[in-house]
Formats: sequence, C-alpha cells, structure tokens
Amino acid sequence: MQPATAAALDLFNPTEAHEMLRRMVRDFVQGEVEPQALEHDRTETFNLPLFRRLGELGLLGVTIPEEHGGAGMDAVAAVIAHEELSASDPGFCLAYLAHSMLFVNNFHHNASAEQRARVLPKVLSGEWVGGMCMSEPHVGTDVLGMSTVAERVGDHYELTGRKMWITNGLIAEGTLGDVFLVYAKTGARISSFLVEKGTPGFEGGQKIRDKCGMRASTTAELVFERARVPVANRLGEEGDSLMHMMRNLEIERVTLAAMSLGIAMRCVQVMCRYASERHAFGKPLREFGQIQRYIARSYAAWKAARSYVYDTARRMDLGRPGQRVDSDGVKLVATTMAKQVADDAMQVLGGYGYVGEYVVERLWRDAKLLEIGGGTLEAHEKNITKDLSRAWQAIVV
Amino acid sequence: MRIVVCIKPVPDTAARIKVHKDGARIDPDGVKFTLGPYDSRCIARAVALKGAGEVVALAAGAAAGEAEAKKRIKDALALGCDKGIFVPDPAPENRDPLAVAKALASAIQGQGGADLIFCGRQATDDQALAVGPMLATLLDLPCVTDAVGIEVTGGSARVQRAAEGRVETLEVTLPAVITGQRDIGDEQYPKLKEILAAGKKPIAEHKVEWAAAKYAVAGLVPPPEKAPGKIVGEGPDAVPALLNLLQTEAKALAL
Repeated sequence: MQPATAAALDLFNPTEAHEMLRRMVRDFVQGEVEPQALEHDRTETFNLPLFRRLGELGLLGVTIPEEHGGAGMDAVAAVIAHEELSASDPGFCLAYLAHSMLFVNNFHHNASAEQRARVLPKVLSGEWVGGMCMSEPHVGTDVLGMSTVAERVGDHYELTGRKMWITNGLIAEGTLGDVFLVYAKTGARISSFLVEKGTPGFEGGQKIRDKCGMRASTTAELVFERARVPVANRLGEEGDSLMHMMRNLEIERVTLAAMSLGIAMRCVQVMCRYASERHAFGKPLREFGQIQRYIARSYAAWKAARSYVYDTARRMDLGRPGQRVDSDGVKLVATTMAKQVADDAMQVLGGYGYVGEYVVERLWRDAKLLEIGGGTLEAHEKNITKDLSRAWQAIVV
Repeated sequence: MRIVVCIKPVPDTAARIKVHKDGARIDPDGVKFTLGPYDSRCIARAVALKGAGEVVALAAGAAAGEAEAKKRIKDALALGCDKGIFVPDPAPENRDPLAVAKALASAIQGQGGADLIFCGRQATDDQALAVGPMLATLLDLPCVTDAVGIEVTGGSARVQRAAEGRVETLEVTLPAVITGQRDIGDEQYPKLKEILAAGKKPIAEHKVEWAAAKYAVAGLVPPPEKAPGKIVGEGPDAVPALLNLLQTEAKALAL
C-alpha cells in the first residue's frame, strides 16, 4: 500500500498496525520492563517470567507467518519491538533478539514442516528459550574458519566443538537454554542443526561473568563432545547453511541497529530533561552553548540513523539475502551513534550520569556491545566495501 | 450476552494541555490521545464476561476529532471487542454530557440493544462523571456506579461497588448500566495478534440527531503553573539548606 503523497508516509509507523504495535510495546515497557531493568543489570540475571510475557503478547514471532503461529509482520515491526524495548532495557532486549531473531526467525526460514510443527509452538510461547551458535573461542569475524564439525554416523550426526558468546546459552546458573541453532562444518561446507537441551554430549561450559553491559542477558560457552543429533534435526540440506547464515545476519544487524536507536532515544530524552531542570550560574544547563552542542548533535545524529534504519527495514525481504550493504551500513552507523549519544548524555548529567539510578550509565555500557556483537564495526566496514566494490554503480545512485 | 462499552478518547496523562483559542475547550491539535483508562478496564471485564456473545465498543462525538475517535475504537477492538460503532458529530464543540448520553442511548437502541452497558466511571479529561447515570436514566435502566467487580448469572448481576470505607454488593437486574472503577478489570496490553485482527473487525457508523447542549463552558483557565524546582546543593552538605527551605519556604515540615 503506497501512501498517496510523500507527506502521508510515516517512515517509523508505516501502517496503523505498526503504530499500535509500538504503543503496545511502549506501554508494556513502561509498566513491566522499566521497573525491573536496573535490578537485573546489577544481578546479571535473565528475567524468564518477563520473557514469557513477550510470548503472551505475541512478540516472540513478529516475523513468523500467521499460519505458523506468528504475527506475519515485517522487518519494520521487528525494528519497532527492539527499539522500544531497548529504550528501557537493552540487556533484556538482547535476550529477546537472540531468541526471536537468531533462533525463531532463522529456524523458521530453514526448517521443514515437520520441524516447524515440533518446535515453533514452544518457542513462540516462550516455553522454550532459544539461541544461535556461530562464534567459537578462536573464531569470530572469520566465521568460515569455524572448527566445530558434524560427522554423519547412520541416522544421526556427531557434533564436536565449542561455541562461544552464546546469548541465552545458560539462562540461569547451571541451566541451559532449551534449544539452539548450531552451525558446524560438514566437510568443507557449513550445515546447521537443531540441538535441544538434554542431547547426549551437549553441555554448558562457562557462564561469562562480569560483562561491561547487557548484563540482563546471559552469555555462555557451550560444549559439544560428539553430541548426538538426529538427522531429522538438520536444517535444510547438508552443506546449505552458509546462505542461511548470511540471510539471517541481515535481520540480526538491522534489529541490533534498532536497539541502538532505542538507547539513543532514551539518552536524548534524559539529557533534554536534565538540561532543563538543572541550573548552573543562575540558568538552566540548556542555555549553555557547550550543553547545546551535546543535545543538538545527539538529536540530529539519532534522527539521521533512525531514518536510515527504518528505510532499510522497509525495503527488506526477509526471505532472501542480498541486502547486506545496508544491513551492515545501519549497524555501523547506529551503534557508533548510540555509544556517542550515551556518552554525551552522561556528560550533560555530570556526576549523576555516572551512577545507575539515572539510567544513562547502564545504557552507555550496553551501547558498546552493539559495536562488537552480531558483527564488529570492522566486519561491517569490510563487507560494505566489498559489496560496493562489486556494484557501487548500482548502489550509490 | 451482548455487552456495549462506551468509550472516549482522552488526552494522554503526559500530554501538554493548551486551551483552545475559543476559550471554552482543550485544543486537540498536537495532543496525544489514548483510550480512557477506566474504559479499557471496562473492556477487559466485558471481554471476560461475554461468553458466546459479543462486545461492542461505542464512541459518540468527536471532541478529539473523528479520526482520533476511530483510532480509539481500533484500540478497543485490539483489546478484544468484536465490533465498533461510531456516532459522528457535526458540531462537537456544542455538546454537554446530556447530549452525549442521548446520542449513546440512540445508538444503543438503534444498533441492537444491549444486555449490559459499561461506561468508565469518568472521562479523565473533563471528569463530569455524568454520562453513565444519564444514559441509564434515558434508557430507563438501573445504574450501578463505581463498580469494582461483577458476576453475571442469568438475567441478573451481582456488582461490587466501592463506597466510602466499604464495598457494597448489589443485585441488579439486566440490562443495566455499570460505571467501572479501576478495579473493574485488569490493566492489559493488546496482544499482537489482536492488533492485527482489529484491522479486520467492522466499525459501523450510526448517525443520530444530536441534541444541542443545555449548558456551555463560559470560561476555561489552566491551573497555575508550578514554580520551577530548586537544586540546593549536592550530597550531605546540602541537607541543612534543604531542611531550612522545607520548613521556611515550602512549609512541608513543622518548625
């Protein structure tokens, strides 16, 4: 549906359903997410009951077609959900992203009808918490150098290797997440597998402690020692998963960029309010040129990144890869923007900005992860340049 | 059971309110509206009660603008109402609660009646608390105000209402008009599937002969502006100055 005029296009809420989704998530965040955010950051714990509330509200399957139990919405809807959650609790939102984008969305695209029927109801309700395993202790950006292997033995595969930095890997002390999408080498090519908790040979390794930020989501190393995975749990054909990986990295990066937007929006709100309320030398802080520079630049940088993210999201076809130049582009721009905006907010708030109660301190720590996870800034720079060098004449127009 | 919930868009509690240039009403321009908070609690209860029946969201008038009224009907549909009825108003600036109650009564009678009618106890903007009881009178129905609970059995309902220092339980024959307090239903968020379904649910328009207002707002002034806050210092060193101001200036502490 095309708007009749350019003025009729609301880039951030293109349809009534998008607008209602945003309001629903925003109200839910205000009522139930914000009150618990600081505590879960402090205690480095994942709020499982709150996560299941997302399932009740239908937010765990935003991009899954209605006939498979989801909402059947688009990348813009996914961006809205991540943006609004991250305005309050990016750590919790990261656990949501790992589940709904890295596991559910990825799984849905590559699973058979039988696999969908078996798994989707449990992950859409939140009964099961899912995650995705790509990075390894010695392999990050260089993902094709992964050393986890899957060897076919009769009617099952044996997976051997270690996966690192797995969000939702352990959802509480000693408690594994319920289901994972695991990439592993089958010969020279990459395949992916559904690995459930309780699979013989599959165990939790170390829980990563003392992260700088994103402490309301849990991160772990997972260990596969000849883990016995039925052939029925292979996603797609053997060796076909490089494409699965590339396709899902695009929505992953766009939603991580959306998280940056939420962080920046909150930081701009906080600094505007503080600069009006706090006085120095007999006038509000906002009257000082040095403070105006932080506020004005933060606002404009946030708005510019927000426009780029939403414009990229509205063009995205979740069913195919090929949008990498902008999915990497938005993550490069939005994550660096959010880190700077959080830093500016902290500077405007002075001493108050440096303590948890005033929120920006937590957002500042959370913002940094987004420059690393889901693709480092350096990976985005490499990818964008590579894609442009192939076809810049078609892209830069 | 067919339940009608009367709803009204009200300004968001965080909205900055300006007086309209006609001096007699709030300027809706630029104000963010929401479904009345008591209305949405009534919807929650109505949806829980409806059984095999239906819940109809009814909005009359367009003080907030017609588009706004229809959006709030959509919100009600996303909270589980089955259909919406909108009563357009060609002259929304010339209405009082009696005129609105007459329009609602006409719409209810003209659109299939109701076994039970809910209104929020008040609209949180003009706070007249008048439309619910007036509607009951016009329809010659019993009215229970400030309900905090309701169970329906056959042709009657037991309704709990909050009175001063006590909760009364009343037996009331149906149909009846119930005005709901906060506790009439749970606060709820629309589920994503209900949001998507809301777009496909019908909203009927019901035209009525509007009655002219019998009173008019002759004047409207905003409350006096709050004085700006004061930061007296930081840390324990600031406590004596703060105590002093709380005693001498704010008079919040006894000397």
